[in-house]
Amino acid sequence: MTTPFSLYLDRETGLHRLHPLTKLALALFYLVAGIAAPGVWGSYTVFLLLLPPALWGRIARPLLVAAGKAVLPFAVSLFLVQGFFWPGGTPILTLGPFSLKEEGLVFAIRSTGRILALVGSFLLLTLSTRPDRLMQALGERGTPQALTYILLTTLQIVPRFQEKARTILDAQRSRGLETEGNPWQRVRALLPLIQPLILGSIVDIEERAIALEVRAFGRSGPKTNLVALADSRGQQLARWLLLFGAVAVVGARLFLAVTGP
Amino acid sequence: MEILVDDVTFTYPGNVLALDGVTLTVASGEAMALIGENGAGKSTLARHLNGLLKPGEGRVLVGEWDTREHTVAQLAQRVAFAFQNPDDQLFARTVRDEVAFGPRNLGRSAAETATAVEMALEQVGLGGRADAHPYDLPVADRKLVTLAAVLAMETPLLVLDEPTAGQDAEGIRRVGDIVEQLKDAGRTIIAITHDMEFCAAHFGRVVVMAGGQIIADGAAGEILRQSELLARADVQPPQLVRLAQALGLPGTPLTRAAFLDLYEEKQQ
Amino acid sequence: MIEARHLTYHYPRAERPALNDLTLSIPAGQFCAVLGANGAGKSTLAYALTGFIPHFYRGRLEGKLEVAGNDVAQTPLAQLAGTVGFVFANPFNQITGAKFTVRQEIAFGLENLGVPPTEMAARVDEMLARMGLEEAADRSPIALSGGQQQRLAIASVLVMRPQVLVLDEPTSQLDPAGSEAIFRLLRTLAGDQEITIFLASHKVALIAEFADRALILSGGQIIDDGAPPAILADPGLERLGIIPSAYTELAHLARQRGLGNAGGPLPVTLAQAEAFFR
Repeated sequence: MTTPFSLYLDRETGLHRLHPLTKLALALFYLVAGIAAPGVWGSYTVFLLLLPPALWGRIARPLLVAAGKAVLPFAVSLFLVQGFFWPGGTPILTLGPFSLKEEGLVFAIRSTGRILALVGSFLLLTLSTRPDRLMQALGERGTPQALTYILLTTLQIVPRFQEKARTILDAQRSRGLETEGNPWQRVRALLPLIQPLILGSIVDIEERAIALEVRAFGRSGPKTNLVALADSRGQQLARWLLLFGAVAVVGARLFLAVTGP
Repeated sequence: MEILVDDVTFTYPGNVLALDGVTLTVASGEAMALIGENGAGKSTLARHLNGLLKPGEGRVLVGEWDTREHTVAQLAQRVAFAFQNPDDQLFARTVRDEVAFGPRNLGRSAAETATAVEMALEQVGLGGRADAHPYDLPVADRKLVTLAAVLAMETPLLVLDEPTAGQDAEGIRRVGDIVEQLKDAGRTIIAITHDMEFCAAHFGRVVVMAGGQIIADGAAGEILRQSELLARADVQPPQLVRLAQALGLPGTPLTRAAFLDLYEEKQQ
Repeated sequence: MIEARHLTYHYPRAERPALNDLTLSIPAGQFCAVLGANGAGKSTLAYALTGFIPHFYRGRLEGKLEVAGNDVAQTPLAQLAGTVGFVFANPFNQITGAKFTVRQEIAFGLENLGVPPTEMAARVDEMLARMGLEEAADRSPIALSGGQQQRLAIASVLVMRPQVLVLDEPTSQLDPAGSEAIFRLLRTLAGDQEITIFLASHKVALIAEFADRALILSGGQIIDDGAPPAILADPGLERLGIIPSAYTELAHLARQRGLGNAGGPLPVTLAQAEAFFR
């Protein structure tokens, strides 16, 4: 029993019912805005602006939790590395031989903000959009089926692969392979894992390829979809606006950069 | 070496209750079959015997070892586990190296290992294929290789997961012969099986599982004739027993000879 | 429906043929089972019927094979797909992995065939009901049990309305109850819907009860061919790697001891065994 490798949370909300490409455009807009936002705190503002649509989709809390978890390691290392090892700069706090530099701190804060906006946009999309629907939307716009298929199967097959790896490891442990020991033992333990995993996977992949052929996957000619994706003129318009908006944001930012603070 | 499963409860992540207060004692030298439909908890229970799974509640003792206090590799000194799918473990370049993996991990000398490997391969009938690449053999033979790998470990307890699945007539006969040889040598065997004929032919004790619990545990002759009980585990009695019941014969024949004796008596 | 004439096939780099001058004719709507030792050619024959040989597995194919009027060697696989369905032993490998619900998984083949959505929805619903998968319709395919996954695999292929359905050991991962359910289903498909079924299997008792015809393969050749009860009522099947029904062996032994019916064929099923001993 495995579950797909997906962040998607199934909810009955307006956000969820939006066409996948609308959500993609929205996420891209936030992404661009978040990275291009001026000032130290600009990106954080963009991140906060993610919350209204997230609340609409009832995914605000999962989004905050996941974003926090994802960004925390980056934040910590940025703070430590840039904060304490910024060359030159203005010290604002001294702890023994180490001093925290203002410029480093500012850099860390701004970079963390950008990462937060990036992760937040990604999460807004993935928490509210089922992967196969997104792929269907892309497929309808011309993305090759082979590509969307590969992306989707990776999501479903990776957990299976992990499960298989675990089974193989169990089998080798049952034959006396010590895995719960020092690091060197653990590395040695991995070697008998690789071949069955790869060979087994190759056999599986071969069978799966044949199984797909049986379902006419290789057939040329138009394909249909069981479920149509709901769309509207309003959403189409919104998508164009968002794309223009993203371009405008980039343009404004460049303008600001060129004309100087 | 006795095995004790002491009121074990086990829940998989995601809140799936797989074992619900299971208690079982297996004496040294017993041949026990574990039967029941898929999902009843047989594999889960088997994996507790060599430490792959540790009980959520309760404990499992292999001899005097509590499985929670030993690694799987340590327990492999006492318990050898043959998995259902051979492709989940085969990795060596030759059948011989594959079978030698277990004994070598257990610290046997090169000489002891070589002897054990040779004997194990003879027992499964693959003596002539020691230098073959495991993946060049058909899947039923690969399964025999994993059986040999487990035999070569020479442990007091062997746990076999569906040993006859996918085997043709010859393969089933070989596995049966091996079980008998192990019994003669005084080893303890626990087999998970759907093959009721195989179960009746070789195992003196039968444990029936359903819904994470043991619903019956006793001598094969006793258990295998209780159709209603077995039906609760989605299992049918062996064919000979079904026929005996259909004909109204008393007793539970587990072998053809026993059946015919019973039949002859009834005719008189 | 299926016509094979002097079919011979060598796997790449193999010296001995996996199929050896095999000639076979299977009419529409027949439930035909093939048995034999591991390595006798059952799977190879199944692959040949679906076109995997020679389109996927290269090697040397000689002779002629026609399935539903298509010359298999000359017809591309994608074209055969609508006519011949194939079900593997391992249900997991038949899941596309691209669909997140059982309902959409079943629809996959129809989508590829360009079937209009309303017709597709109707056919999928019918298949869900027929295969007992209605309550799993919105669940993820990879979260199903082995038995459900195998039913899903069959449903996904059946919904394409093939004229021929080829199955290679479809019950090896199922428990006895699950296996019987599959055989029962195949019997219905052949009888009610005129689908030609070709099944490679070890399960003698189930074949005797549900199949119309049994072929015995050995060394890539057909050794025996006929109605299952007669073909399978042979205690010597073990020589050919087949596990005979326990009833057949019992009855054979009984006759040697002068017990049971002296004449007539040996029993294969429970009902036949009862009759034999009364």
